[in-house]
Amino acid sequence: MQIILPDRSVRTLSRTSAPIEEILLELGINPTTVIVVKNGKVVPEDVTAGEDDEIRVLRFSHGG
Amino acid sequence: MSSAENRCSLCREPAVVRLTEPERRLCAGHFIEDVEARVLGSVTREQMIAPGDRVAVGLSGGKDSTALLLLLHRFLPALGATPVAVTIDEGIAGYREETLRAAQDLAGELGVEHAIVTFADLFGEDLDAILVGRESQGCTVCGVLRRRALVEAVKRVGATKLATGHNLDDEAQSVLMNVLRGDLPRLRQDTSTGQPGHFVPRIKPLAVLSEKEIVTYLLLRAYYRDLPECPYAGTALRSEVRTMLAGLEHRHPGTMLRLMRFRGGIRQSARAAEPAKALSTCRICGELTSGEVCQVCRLLGRKER
Repeated sequence: MQIILPDRSVRTLSRTSAPIEEILLELGINPTTVIVVKNGKVVPEDVTAGEDDEIRVLRFSHGG
Repeated sequence: MSSAENRCSLCREPAVVRLTEPERRLCAGHFIEDVEARVLGSVTREQMIAPGDRVAVGLSGGKDSTALLLLLHRFLPALGATPVAVTIDEGIAGYREETLRAAQDLAGELGVEHAIVTFADLFGEDLDAILVGRESQGCTVCGVLRRRALVEAVKRVGATKLATGHNLDDEAQSVLMNVLRGDLPRLRQDTSTGQPGHFVPRIKPLAVLSEKEIVTYLLLRAYYRDLPECPYAGTALRSEVRTMLAGLEHRHPGTMLRLMRFRGGIRQSARAAEPAKALSTCRICGELTSGEVCQVCRLLGRKER
């Protein structure tokens, strides 16, 4: 699966399937501070991502 | 949870969020409805708006104030009130230009009256100039001056209320910061009633929504813009508290809401125990202050004439 991180860098993970929340925590990202977009759709972090999925992680700026 | 199992609790469409208290999953449409109902519920329950109110909506152009104006533009007419957007242009090069444009675009699109007040006009120079040599105090200085600028903007547009986009994260962080600083007076301070002749009542309709819920709402309504973060953003303490609270909220969902309930309890018991400290007027500018000279005059080094 492909993970597009908030800084727009791309990581390819070789795992077959895992809850997105688990992947975020492994990457050192607190799930409450980001929004997850799986294959173009916003999803809750407890949804599982599979081998062919693209996960985009959006971090929002504070203030405003 | 598989995508097939991730369904809206109300209609079985794919869910975009999972919320707690009560535990539920919601699709895009039902999440938008849920957000709007919670904000309207809070506005009416806490009697934030009265018929005839002219509500100044602090519109920085960032995410929170964008959501605030979208929501109030929708609700106020039914409550017999009118919104007027007010933007403070502090004068922060490389940051404010883009957010100012976003604010103008939104007010224009919604057909909402919009007033812009600049630091240069109010204080003689912009924030970048005021901060030369004390950049590390940026957030503190700006906070004090922006609050004064909002008071002035409210007077200029003749508003009866001031609505700001403070969200649940902001409010919960402030509660914890006040506890960590041992600042009970500030923890007790309630600006929702105003000070006749000086401040109109201030309302925070988004304090029931987390920052994440606000961004999700904007994304789903196609109003989210990835704007730059203010170069002066975040005091050291707020940024530490933000990280700490985010961790607690993840491991113990509902932490931020419980902090807000704690503040409510403190305010109620403090009100019963002793009256709030009386405020006087600043010797230099005449605005309200707890001492003899207000923070704005002290920060700007104003002298008595």
